Amino acid sequence: MNPLLLFLIPLLPLLGGVFNACCGSRLPQRLVAAVAVLSVAGSFLSSLLLWPLGAGEGTRTVLFSWLQSGGFRADAGILFDPLAAVMTLMVTGVATLIHLYAAGYMEHDENQARFFALLNLFVFAMLCIVLADNLLFLFLGWEGVGFCSYGLIGFWYRKTENASAGRKAFIVTRIGDLFFAIALLWLFREFGTILIEQINARAVELDPLLLTVLTLLLLGGACGKSAQLPLMTWLPDAMAGPTPVSALIHAATMVTAGVYLLCRMFPLVSLSTTGMAAIALVGVLTALYAASCAVAQREIKRVLAYSTMSQIGYMFFAVGVGSVSGAMFHLLTHAFFKALLFMGAGCVIHLAGNENDIYRMGGLKRKSPQVFWLFLIGILCLAGTPLTGGFFSKDEILLTAFARGDGFSAILWGLGVLTAGLTSFYSFRLLYLVFFGEPRQAEKGHSVSPLMLWTLPLLALFGLFGGLLNLPHLFGGHQWLSHWLGQPAGVSLSLGTELGLLLLMLIFFGGGWLIAHLRYRRFPGDEQADWRSFLLNGWQFDRFYEFILVRPYRTVCRFCWQGGDKALIDGIMDGISRLCLHWGGYARKLTTGQVAFYLQGFAWGLLLIVGWFLLSAVK
Amino acid sequence: MIVPLEHVLFLSTILFILGLGCVLARRNLIMILIGVEIMLNAVGLTLVGASAFWQQVDGQIMVIFLMAMTSAEVSISLAMVVYLNRRKGTVDVRAFDEMRG
Amino acid sequence: MTASVAVHFPLLSLLLWLPLGGTLLCLLFRHSGNLCRWASLLTTVAVLCLSLWMAFQSLGGNGWLFYEDAAWIEPFGIRYMLGMDGISLLLVLLTALLQVAAILISWQQKEHPAFFYALILVMETGIIGVFLALDLVMFYLFWELMLIPMFFLIGVWGHENRVYAAVKFFFFTLAGSLCLLLAIISLYLIHGGQTGEYTFALEALRQTVLTPGTEMILYVGFMLAFIVKVPLFPFHTWLPDAHTEAPPAGSVDLAGLLLKTGVYGMIRFAFPLFPGAAERSLPLLAVLSLVGIFYAAWVAYAQTDLKRVIAYSSVAHLGFVILGLAAWNQLAWEGSLLLMINHGITTGALFVMIAMISDRAGTRELEHLGGLWSVFPNLSAFFLLFCLASLGLPGLANFSGEILVLFGTFKAQPLWGGLAVAGVVFSAAYMLRVVQSSLWGESKVLQRSDDLGPREWLILIPLALLVVLLGVYPAPVLDFLREPVSLLLATGGMP
Repeated sequence: MNPLLLFLIPLLPLLGGVFNACCGSRLPQRLVAAVAVLSVAGSFLSSLLLWPLGAGEGTRTVLFSWLQSGGFRADAGILFDPLAAVMTLMVTGVATLIHLYAAGYMEHDENQARFFALLNLFVFAMLCIVLADNLLFLFLGWEGVGFCSYGLIGFWYRKTENASAGRKAFIVTRIGDLFFAIALLWLFREFGTILIEQINARAVELDPLLLTVLTLLLLGGACGKSAQLPLMTWLPDAMAGPTPVSALIHAATMVTAGVYLLCRMFPLVSLSTTGMAAIALVGVLTALYAASCAVAQREIKRVLAYSTMSQIGYMFFAVGVGSVSGAMFHLLTHAFFKALLFMGAGCVIHLAGNENDIYRMGGLKRKSPQVFWLFLIGILCLAGTPLTGGFFSKDEILLTAFARGDGFSAILWGLGVLTAGLTSFYSFRLLYLVFFGEPRQAEKGHSVSPLMLWTLPLLALFGLFGGLLNLPHLFGGHQWLSHWLGQPAGVSLSLGTELGLLLLMLIFFGGGWLIAHLRYRRFPGDEQADWRSFLLNGWQFDRFYEFILVRPYRTVCRFCWQGGDKALIDGIMDGISRLCLHWGGYARKLTTGQVAFYLQGFAWGLLLIVGWFLLSAVK
Repeated sequence: MIVPLEHVLFLSTILFILGLGCVLARRNLIMILIGVEIMLNAVGLTLVGASAFWQQVDGQIMVIFLMAMTSAEVSISLAMVVYLNRRKGTVDVRAFDEMRG
Repeated sequence: MTASVAVHFPLLSLLLWLPLGGTLLCLLFRHSGNLCRWASLLTTVAVLCLSLWMAFQSLGGNGWLFYEDAAWIEPFGIRYMLGMDGISLLLVLLTALLQVAAILISWQQKEHPAFFYALILVMETGIIGVFLALDLVMFYLFWELMLIPMFFLIGVWGHENRVYAAVKFFFFTLAGSLCLLLAIISLYLIHGGQTGEYTFALEALRQTVLTPGTEMILYVGFMLAFIVKVPLFPFHTWLPDAHTEAPPAGSVDLAGLLLKTGVYGMIRFAFPLFPGAAERSLPLLAVLSLVGIFYAAWVAYAQTDLKRVIAYSSVAHLGFVILGLAAWNQLAWEGSLLLMINHGITTGALFVMIAMISDRAGTRELEHLGGLWSVFPNLSAFFLLFCLASLGLPGLANFSGEILVLFGTFKAQPLWGGLAVAGVVFSAAYMLRVVQSSLWGESKVLQRSDDLGPREWLILIPLALLVVLLGVYPAPVLDFLREPVSLLLATGGMP
C-alpha cells in the first residue's frame, strides 16, 4: 500500500469542509449534509483499509515540506503507529456516526453549510493532532480544534451568551496552548528537531530538571484542551452549541486531545517522576471536582459535561500512573458511551420540547422506551456497572494505581474510588430524573427523527462490549489493546487482592446507585440550598477567575490606554509641542511690525560687532 | 595725498552716525530714507578715501556702482512712499505694522 | 556585481517611474474622475504585472536579481543606484498588490479624485524607491517622497480629527528622518575625510572605519527614523491616530507598506552600516519589542474603534518582527521577513474590510456594530478569516512567520521567546473581542444591506487566497529570503 494514501484520512474531511464552506450556501441542504457525512465516512473507511500500516513500528510519510528555514523543518507528515491507528479509527468512526446524527438533528436549521463545514474541519483538525509526525503539525490541529470549537459552540451566534461561550473556550484553551507552545520551542532548542519519534527516542539525554519542566508544560497544554484543573471552566459553558457538537467535542475530539498528547509523548513524559505525579494528581483532583459538580447540576448537558471532565480526569490519572493502554482503553470506551449519552440527550431534549432542565423532565420512559433503553446503556457504562465497557476500563486504571503500592498512589487511588461512587450516584440521578416519575415539562415535545435514533444502537453496542478490547486475564481476556500498543500491562496482583478490589468497586457502585434510587426515584421537588448552588456553579471558579484575572486584565488594558498611551506618551509629545508654542509666543513678541524697532535691533547689533572688533584690537 | 586718511575716516564716521541717528530717531518715512542715503554716502566717502590712500582704482569703481544703485533704490523707495501715503494718508512708520507676529 | 538575469533594459527604473507616469496621466485627466480612476488602476495593475513577471524571471536566482548604476550628481558623489534582491522583490510585490487594492477600495472617491489617485501613485513610487535605492541620498529622497502624499491623504481626505492626526504623523516621522539625514551627511563626510572619495553609495560607506562612540551616534540617528516608522514602543502613538483619520486607501498603505519601510531600512542600511553598534543595541531592541507586543495587545483590548484595534495589533505584530531581528539568526530573520509580508496582506485586507463594514454600518464603533453575520454572511466570512489570520491561527498567513520568529528567538534567547509566546494569547483576546462585537449577536441599524459586490469580491478573493497560501505553503517566499538573509547576517553585506 502506498503510504501516501494515509493522507486521505485527514484530507477527505478537509476537502468536505472547504467545499461546504465555499459553495455550501448555494447548494441544497441535503447535499451539504451528504457531502459532510460522506467525507468523514470515507475517511473512516480509508483508516480501516490502511489499518495494517499502523502495525509494529508504524509508517511515516511526508506530503510536502510546510516550513523550512535555517535548520528548522516542519513537514505535513503523518506518523501512523499503533497508538495513532487506534485513535484514528475511533475518531473517524465516532465522528461518522455523529455526522449522521447531525444530519438529522440539524434538518431544519438554515445554516447547515456553515455547520457542516466547521464540523468537517473539526474532524480534520483532530486527525492532524492524531496523525501528525511532528509537534508543529500537531499544533496546527491543536489550534484548529480550538477555532472549530469556537465556531461551533457559538454556532447560534444571535444569542450573545453562545458566542461568549465559544470565545471563552477558545481563549481558555489558548492559555493552555501557550504552555504547549513553549514546550515545543524548548524541545526544538534542545534537539534541533520537532519530530515526535526522534524527541521520544532522545528524551533520555535531557537534564532531569528540564524534563520535569517540559512535562509540566505539556501537562499545561493538555489541561487546557482536556478541560482539567485549573483550565476547566470552558467545558460546561461549551454546552451552548448544538448537541452533535457537544457530542463531538466530548466524545471523539478536542477533550481527548490532551490525553492523546500525553500518551504520544509518553516516553518523554514518563522519565520525570515529579511530572508523572503532577499528571496523576491533576487527573484525580479534576475527576473528583467534576463529579462533585455533576451531583448538583440541573441541565442535562451540563451533567454530562462535568461527567466528561471527570472521566478525562481518570485518563490523566492513568497516564500519571504509567498506563498508556489504560488511558487509551478508557478513552475509547468513554468515546463510545459519551457519544451515545450526548446523542441520547439530544433526543431527550427534542422529546421534552427543547427543555434542558432535568427538574422539568420526568416520565420520558413511557414516551419513548427506545431512547430510554439506549440512554440506560450509556448511563450503565458511565456509572461503571460491572461487565460494561466503562467498568473494565475504569477498573484497569484503578488497579494499576493500586498496584504501584506507594503512599501517594494509594491516596490517589482512594480518591479515584470515591469518585467512582459519586459517578454512579450522579449517573443514576440523571436517569431517574429524566425518565422516571411524572412528566413535569410544560411543553409537548416533538418526535425524534429516525436518522438520529438509528445511529445510537451501534454506539450502544460498542459501549456495552467495549470491554472486550482489553479484557483482563481475570475475565478470560487477552488484553488485546495493551498488546497492540506494545505495552502489556505490568499489573501483578494476587487473585485475592484483585477480587477484593473488584468487590470494593462493586460496593461503591452499588452505594451510589442505592442513594440515587432512594432519593430520586420519585422527584423530590426543587432543591435549593447554599452548598448546592456552590456545586452548581462549579465551586464558583468562574467568579473567582473573573475576580482575579478578567477584571484586573480589563483594568490593566484600560490603564495602558488611558494612562500609558494617552496620558504619558501623548502627554509628553503634546507637552513638547506646547512648550514650543509657548517659547514661540515669546519670539513672536519681538516681531512688532515697527520698522523703528527692527532698525534699533540693527543698531544694537552693529554696536556689538564694532565693540567686539574694538575689544579684540585692544587685545 | 593732501587730506590725511584719518580726516576722511573721521568725517565719514560722523556722517554715518548722523545718518544712523536720523534713521533711528525719525518717524517720517522720507526722513528715514534721507538718513539711509547719508549713511550710504558716508560709506562711499570712505571707499573714495581708501582708494586714494592706496592708489587703487577699485574703491572708486565701487562708489560709481554705489551711486547707480542708490539712485535706483531711491526711485523705488520713493515710489513706495507715495503708494503708502496713498493707502493710509500718512508717512509715519508707526502706522505700518501689519507684519507684526 | 552583475545582474543575474541578463536583461539590459532598465527594468528597475521602469518599475520605479511607472507610477509617476500614472500620476501625470491623472493630472492630465483631472477633469474626469472616471478617466483618472481607470488610468490609476491600469498603472497599478501594470506595476503588479511587471513585478510579477520580474519575480518569475528571477525564480531561483542569486545575488542582485536586478541592478542599475548610473552617474547622477557627480560633484557630490551621488549615484543613481538601484538594486533588487529577494527581500526587495517580495516587498515590491507586496507594494504592487496592495496598491491595486488601495485603488479599488477607493473607487468611489468623490472629492478631488484626480489628486487623490495621483497622490497614491506618487506614494507607490516613493515606496518602491525606498525598497530599491542603494544610494543613501536616493534612499532619503524616496523616504521623504512617501511621507508627503500620506500627509495630504490624511489631512485632506481624512475624517473629523484629520489635521491633528496628519500633523502628528508628519512631526513624528519628520523628526525621525531629520536624524537620518544628519547621520547620512556625517557618515558621508567621515568617509570622504578618510578615503578622499566622497560618495553616498551604501557599499562604499560600509567600509568606513568608525570609533565605537561615533558609530553608536550615527546608528541611533538611522534607527530613530526607522523605529518611528515601524513603529516600536514608545514611538507608536502616531499610528492609531493616523489610521483612525486616514481614508481607507491611506490605512491600507500605512499598515501594509509604510511600516515595512522601517524594518527594511534597518536590515538594509542601519545594521550593515554599523554592525558593532547594532550588536550592542539588540537587547534594547528586544526589550522594546517585547514591551510593545504586550502593551499594544493590552491597549488594543481597551479600544472601542475598530480601526484603532487593528492599528494597535499592527504595533504588536511589528513587535514580533523586530524581536525576530534582535534574535539575529537565520531562522528568526526569515520568520521576521515572512511575518512582515504576511502582516502586510492580512492587515491590509483587514483595513479594506473595515472600510466595507463602516460603509454599510455607518460606524466603526464596536458598541454600535453587531450581528453583521446575519446580514452579510459573505463579507463576515472574509472578515473572520482575516481576523483569524491576524490572531495567528496555524495554517493561515501570520502564523507561519510568527512561529519561525518564535523558534529562532527561543533558540537564541529562551526568555525572550517564552515571553513572546504569551503575547499570542493576548492577541486572541482582542481579535476575538472584535469578532464578537462586530459579527455575532443581533443585527443593528444599517445604512446598506447589500452583501459583497463584484468589485469587492475582486479585492478580497486574491487576498484571501494569499492568506491561506502563505499559511500552508510559504516555501516560495522563504526561498527568496534564504540567500539574502544569510548574506545580511553573515557579513551584513550584499551580493
